[in-house]
Amino acid sequence: MSEQDPSPRDRSNDLAISRRDALRISAAATGASLAGFGKTMAAAQPMPVALPGMSLTVHFQVNGNHIETLVDPRASLLDVLREQLALTGAKKGCDHGQCGACTVHVDGRRVASCLTLAAKVEGRQVLTIEGLSLEDGSLHPMQQAFIDHDALQCGYCTPGQIMAAVACVQEGHASSDAEIREYMSGNICRCGAYVGIVAAIRDAAVTMGGD
Amino acid sequence: MNETIYPDRARIDALEKVLGRTRFAADIPLPRITHAMTVPSRIVRGRLAAIDIGAARAVDGVLAVLTWRDFTNAQSAGYLMGGGFGFQSHQPMLSDRLVHRGEPIALVVAETLEIAIEAAALVDARYEEEPFAALLEDERAEILAPQAGHAMGDAQAMLASAAFRVDAEYLSPAQYQNPMEMIATVAEWRDGTLTIHEGTQNSSAVKFGVAAALGLDSARVRVKSAYLGGGFGQKNSLQGQTVLAARAAILLGRPVKLVMPRAQLYHTASFRPASRHRIQLGADADGRIVAASYEADMQNSRADTFRASFSEITARLYSIPNYSSTARLVRTDVQSPGYMRAPFEHPAAFAFESAVDELAYATGRDPLAFRLNNDAETDPVTGDPFSSRFLAECLRTGADRFGWSERNPAPGSMRADDGTMIGWGVAVGAYKAAMAPAIARLRVRADGTTLLSVSGHEMGQGIRTAIFAALTEGLEIDPARIEIVIGDPDAAPQHLTAGSWGTASSVPVVRRAVETMQARFDALRDGRSVHGSIHQMLALWRRPYIEVETRLQAPGQPDAVFDRLQRGLPAAGGPEYKPFVSFSYIAHFVEVRVEPTTRRIRVLRVVSIVDCGRVVSPRTAESQVRGGVVWGIGAALRETAEIDPRFGGVLNNDLAEYVLPVNADIGAIEVGFIDQPDPMLNEAGVKGLGEVAMVGVAAAIGNAIFHATGRRLRQLPMRIEHLI
Ligand code: FES
Ligand code: FES
Repeated sequence: MSEQDPSPRDRSNDLAISRRDALRISAAATGASLAGFGKTMAAAQPMPVALPGMSLTVHFQVNGNHIETLVDPRASLLDVLREQLALTGAKKGCDHGQCGACTVHVDGRRVASCLTLAAKVEGRQVLTIEGLSLEDGSLHPMQQAFIDHDALQCGYCTPGQIMAAVACVQEGHASSDAEIREYMSGNICRCGAYVGIVAAIRDAAVTMGGD
Repeated sequence: MNETIYPDRARIDALEKVLGRTRFAADIPLPRITHAMTVPSRIVRGRLAAIDIGAARAVDGVLAVLTWRDFTNAQSAGYLMGGGFGFQSHQPMLSDRLVHRGEPIALVVAETLEIAIEAAALVDARYEEEPFAALLEDERAEILAPQAGHAMGDAQAMLASAAFRVDAEYLSPAQYQNPMEMIATVAEWRDGTLTIHEGTQNSSAVKFGVAAALGLDSARVRVKSAYLGGGFGQKNSLQGQTVLAARAAILLGRPVKLVMPRAQLYHTASFRPASRHRIQLGADADGRIVAASYEADMQNSRADTFRASFSEITARLYSIPNYSSTARLVRTDVQSPGYMRAPFEHPAAFAFESAVDELAYATGRDPLAFRLNNDAETDPVTGDPFSSRFLAECLRTGADRFGWSERNPAPGSMRADDGTMIGWGVAVGAYKAAMAPAIARLRVRADGTTLLSVSGHEMGQGIRTAIFAALTEGLEIDPARIEIVIGDPDAAPQHLTAGSWGTASSVPVVRRAVETMQARFDALRDGRSVHGSIHQMLALWRRPYIEVETRLQAPGQPDAVFDRLQRGLPAAGGPEYKPFVSFSYIAHFVEVRVEPTTRRIRVLRVVSIVDCGRVVSPRTAESQVRGGVVWGIGAALRETAEIDPRFGGVLNNDLAEYVLPVNADIGAIEVGFIDQPDPMLNEAGVKGLGEVAMVGVAAAIGNAIFHATGRRLRQLPMRIEHLI
């Protein structure tokens, strides 16, 4: 299997948060709130009370919306998205960084959100499948291409595949089928939709190239 | 007879899926939800001598820690293949008795997942261990007396006198389904009703099984399984975890979410058992297969009897007049093995189709011509006709598309410019064309909406799309406002959706509902000529809706089979329907490349041609076949559970070590359909597709490796080290 992120060292630098920062944020934590929810976050349910263990306040953007929320310092970004922000598009297939079902973008790069502590996205921009559609509500070319090429079956790996696929094109790793296959091999599809996924990326890469 | 040719259309739930809006069980938002985590047993067999939950209970945010003492008035819901509902008869946490590694000994429920995980690690246990058997060859394994299989003619005598013979043993390891969605249960107890959200292929078994296990009135247990993130047989019955989560939800009065960690699933859910296959074949001087003998051993658990039926397809692939088969079950200390995509047919086809290839070479014949020369016209087992069989067409079409005529038959004779060894292999597969009883309730309303509730579960195979196609090809209704409810036993009784009978069961009953609806509409119309949809006419006539209910079972099944359907018991029929026999067929052509120095094996391209009867949803069907081929590649070259005989568990119990095929492993996969309706099986002419797609792939790859290298590999998975 090839790397989920082509440059993991860079990624960890990007997301580095010092221990002192973490403590400062923790000390300032008073209660959970979700501020500034726009269209994409309308479905989210605010956390009414701080639950035990939620001792750290983090601020970040999700799909363009500012988030301020209390988290358990051990919580993964995936679990915070899914369990606290009601953004269940990203999926848990292993919780170990082995399958790619939880792929989201942080500051424009794909990451396995199950391996990313929520605390580490302080001040970052997170993009999930829920925020991928264009401003006018129409599908991102990659989403349309996945439909056109039936690049899915059960759909469980699909949000992660699409987020990885968009990044794969943006990284410039979609120049040939062989390259797409290599750079998409961090995302397992047990239904075996790989042929469709490669075709969809090849197709969407052309449309996205005009951006 | 069905003459409908179904057009290409997009998967109807694809839009929701690419938007990330499809709600799988663990995505269901419920207020005040709690999170559960299981504590796995660290021994294989013995007794839980003591368990200390004090430290776990003391963690802030822990709501409950359940042990077997909280389940003293619960009971096992029984084994699916023994009149019950569970994937095995052993329900964990009913007593201090432990029978397989990894079974839960405690369930922690907490306010958050992080706390549940922390507390689960703090549960302390002391065990009294007993000796156990982990592997087929273990001396403590219990070998049962052989089950009688097929016995046609006199196989042993004809083998002894055959001009050409093959006698070989093939090995297939334990393998795991690993659907991407880990088995997830969300249980909610409200106003005396238990609601279970779980991605299951058998929501009725979950409903009746949970009720039986916890002593509840089944009318008060609801199950919702609208979508699965893959099932592949692992989600085909009641899971032990479901009972645990349900009990916790009742005790706490709050919803409980239990997503079983991937690592634990290798020990808490079913798997494909390890098996051994001795195949003896004999051919005469004209290249006719005159005799075959098939002896198999297959792993089982101690408590349950999961029967082996490897020979069901191999007795029918060719016209072999003298044929015998037996199978021995071997009991080991493990959770009960069960159904994993093409459960018997995949290992059987690997063994038998490898042996047929060996025999073709022994006779000096082309493996394709050899197979065509031995095609069966009537069923060799019953003597009855096949309802439809286009296996020879699959072979001929596939050979054309693949370019088989360019093949140099000599092993090791084909090389790429860079010296890479090229191998071309062929193999065939079959899978029973079964049907399960199904019920459809169709309501067309004056307000423009349509509600269809029908038996069936969507695992990704595309059954919703096929149902949608059957509904809209026949009826003047608004296709944009159709609601299809499946996987809900309270909307319509649900069959176990498995064994490739989903579409063949659900589509014909929907077609019948469409016809009944049309007849009702025509009766209302009473000769008047109308212009507009059914909705518009109903509005005009001031009728709020028309509703019809239809039912359909497999040919020859008595109406009493609906009683089994209503009670959540397996009820499928086939493949022998007096007086005919029904199977789906496939032919695979594979090109492998083997690097001469590293011996790395790659599957460059596959051509697969299928006879599955009428294709109702062409686009999703093609995807399903490609998926089956990917499964075949994984089973052939990658997947195996590494069992440590000293500790009796799966060592590689995660997705980094249990190697599934990834994108870079897959080359071109070309799919073709014969698309001829089966005239006898059902009115839609549909056979089955999901499993046959995988059957024979591993053999075709092994045969191609032999062609590339001259080395015959008889053990799955086939790896670099076997070629060095
Ligand atoms: S869930 Fe994150 S990689 Fe599998
Ligand atoms: S679509 Fe099912 S796992 Fe990829």
